[in-house]
Amino acid sequence: MFAFRVNRHRRRLLLLSLGALVLSILGMALSWSSPSIRAPLRPGLDFTGGTQIQLERRCESACPPLTVSSLQRSLAALKLPADGANPAPALAGASVQLLDGGRSLVARTPSLSPDQAQVVLQALQDQVGDTVPGGLSIDTIGPTLGSQLLQASLVSLLVSFVGISLYISFRYDRIYAALALLCLAHDVLITCGLFAWLGLLAGVEVNSLFAVALLTIAGYSVNDTVVIFDRIREKRNQLKDLPLADQADEAVISTLTRSVYTSLTTLLPLIALIFFGGSTLYWFAIALSFGILVGAWSSIGVAPTLLPVLSRR
Amino acid sequence: MARQQGWFALILALAIAAGALLFSWNTPITPLGQRLGLDLRGGSQLTLQVQPAGAITTVRKEQLDAVKDVLDRRINGLGVAESTLQTVGDDQLVLQLPGEQDPTRAATVLGTTALLEFRAQKPGTEQRMQELLTLKRQATALLIRLGQPSQSDPDPEPNQIEPNQAEPKQAEPKQADRDQVQADLQRINADIVALYEPASLSGKDLVTAGRQQQQSGSGWDVTLSFNKEGGDKFAQLTQSIAGTGRLLGIVLDGRSISEASVGPEFQAAGITGGSASITGNFSAEEARDLEVQLRGGSLPLPVKILEVRTIGPSLGAENIRTSLLAALTGLLLVAVFMVVVYRLAGVVAVVALSLYGLFNLAAYALIPVTMTLPGIAGFILSLGMAVDANVLIFERIKEELREGNTLIRSIDTGFSLAFSSIVDGQVTTLISCIALFALGTGFVKGFAVTLGIGVLLSLFSALTCTRTLLRVLMSYPALRRIDYFLPLAQRPERVA
Repeated sequence: MFAFRVNRHRRRLLLLSLGALVLSILGMALSWSSPSIRAPLRPGLDFTGGTQIQLERRCESACPPLTVSSLQRSLAALKLPADGANPAPALAGASVQLLDGGRSLVARTPSLSPDQAQVVLQALQDQVGDTVPGGLSIDTIGPTLGSQLLQASLVSLLVSFVGISLYISFRYDRIYAALALLCLAHDVLITCGLFAWLGLLAGVEVNSLFAVALLTIAGYSVNDTVVIFDRIREKRNQLKDLPLADQADEAVISTLTRSVYTSLTTLLPLIALIFFGGSTLYWFAIALSFGILVGAWSSIGVAPTLLPVLSRR
Repeated sequence: MARQQGWFALILALAIAAGALLFSWNTPITPLGQRLGLDLRGGSQLTLQVQPAGAITTVRKEQLDAVKDVLDRRINGLGVAESTLQTVGDDQLVLQLPGEQDPTRAATVLGTTALLEFRAQKPGTEQRMQELLTLKRQATALLIRLGQPSQSDPDPEPNQIEPNQAEPKQAEPKQADRDQVQADLQRINADIVALYEPASLSGKDLVTAGRQQQQSGSGWDVTLSFNKEGGDKFAQLTQSIAGTGRLLGIVLDGRSISEASVGPEFQAAGITGGSASITGNFSAEEARDLEVQLRGGSLPLPVKILEVRTIGPSLGAENIRTSLLAALTGLLLVAVFMVVVYRLAGVVAVVALSLYGLFNLAAYALIPVTMTLPGIAGFILSLGMAVDANVLIFERIKEELREGNTLIRSIDTGFSLAFSSIVDGQVTTLISCIALFALGTGFVKGFAVTLGIGVLLSLFSALTCTRTLLRVLMSYPALRRIDYFLPLAQRPERVA
């Protein structure tokens, strides 16, 4: 492979990463301040809680036109039965989306009880006409469940970070451990940044599958970085007289083929998924492939260039 | 060499065992069918949370299990196929209904708090009670005539409502009347409840309820049996009203579902012995409904529905099937890539990775693991790492060959040099798997399980399978050719 000495271009490489990080954080900040999102990423039903009713219309060649506003008006006028002691939620803020050129319809409301959901469903069906029975889905997620999910995932992630850094400090040293975590944060943050922008510009929402993608990216990132570290350690023993920056460069050069091939073999199934897979996994595959690219980048461009800088101190 | 053959025999034996296991475990029509999570099969999932109530401020394991028992019975009564009810964490239950089953009915049955109380009528309200009961009878009869079952009688004789169903046009204008009578009936029931003393006995002391046909006549009785404490309370309760003409009210969720009188013969000690029967000349349906309500009423704590999640088969499964097909195509491309880049070693890697896939499937069947989307993500990640391990080893072998080493020596050095980076990468992944499995919930757990299994197996696959297969192949001199591993152009001139 060609001999690209990363430490000679340290400034440019790190600036590139820094720029991507700043852009990501900007995206999340903008998303947070946006009145319609109020979170770093546009949260889907999994995290906000609520009820989502999805219908697939059965029509011959073209579906009779529907307008979102008339559907919303009819929902807002709907009177729901109370659920035991809890009063019925107001439907004035319910959102309705038409997908696939009006062929399917998604309505979002506050959390509904099963009886209330039936009333809403009936009201929608009255307006929409014939629907495909198998295409119906009603999802209700309590607001507590989303935050519970988030909390448990974050706690388990933090504990696994501590475990990983302890292991790397034991096998290498503390600087390597800090770098591995830094790269991990870099990869996860930039992936989140991409989705913050996608949420702002294209209305893409993150669901629990996105959280799974982040977990996968985190695991991949550490694995990728550790392989480079192993090679740097080997080069330090082989090339004792050279400065650390050159040792790191040698390590990157000799693992570059492997890094490219490994990323490529992991990306192949994911790219197939993006182009030929169904819509359920579309954004999941995009998040994963992007995260793996960023992960490959950080293990080549960030970890080996920051190592000499941090070790000098 | 003997050691190599030993390993080779072991790998072969394991592969045969795994293959046999997979074929005997699953019918050929639905490979892994039972082991697919709802997100892959389609279906619906309900998450329920047990709510603390009264003296109980935190829900403990025993209480959760007690609630689960009651809900299990209720679900069996619903007659849904292949449903599973599992406890999750400290206070949650998850019910899964695969296939195209309507979750609304299950949600209604399970979500009904069904707080059951036995309450004695207040003294001095006999007259008012009689008036209310007369009104209630009238309202119920009126409702039946209007063609709508009353609330306390959800399952009336079908022939009673048939005349109205046959004339839907006529039923339409009656809707307002029906609503009116329904509202009246609810108000009457609430008024009746107001005539009772506060509850002294609740459904948690009720052990079971049943029904039996009356020995004389065609009516049915509903039987009750209480635990020791409940039996004592019931005796006190019945003793206080026996022979007074005051009634014993059975109140479900603040609604009076039945009123019973206690005969004068129990004035001395009340109804003792912890069991009783309500003789009300019930029809078979009425008796069954009351029995179900009473049994459900013995739910020790109320439950709340947190989540109802439906994946319609046309939305979920079909979609995901195409995705899996796409991913498999991608894997095929990976195999082609490996063979093109690493030649003979690539072929060995593809064989080793196929074995790896087979071992993974066998492990899922043995443990057993329910396959979900996050689980597949975990498997893909571990597969990526398994490929990575092979890439690492083969790149090392190529490096050694480029430096002019012999083939056998290069293979040995390649494996031993790649070893530490492979192990380090896998151990860090394993550490996060353990943390995610121990602390995570739901999908995080599913992800951690398949990733963890995959990582352990990939160590075996890369370090044992690939190595053994390569060594066995190298025992054939015809295959011991460097250009089977590295294009000759990259090989340096031999320096003497």
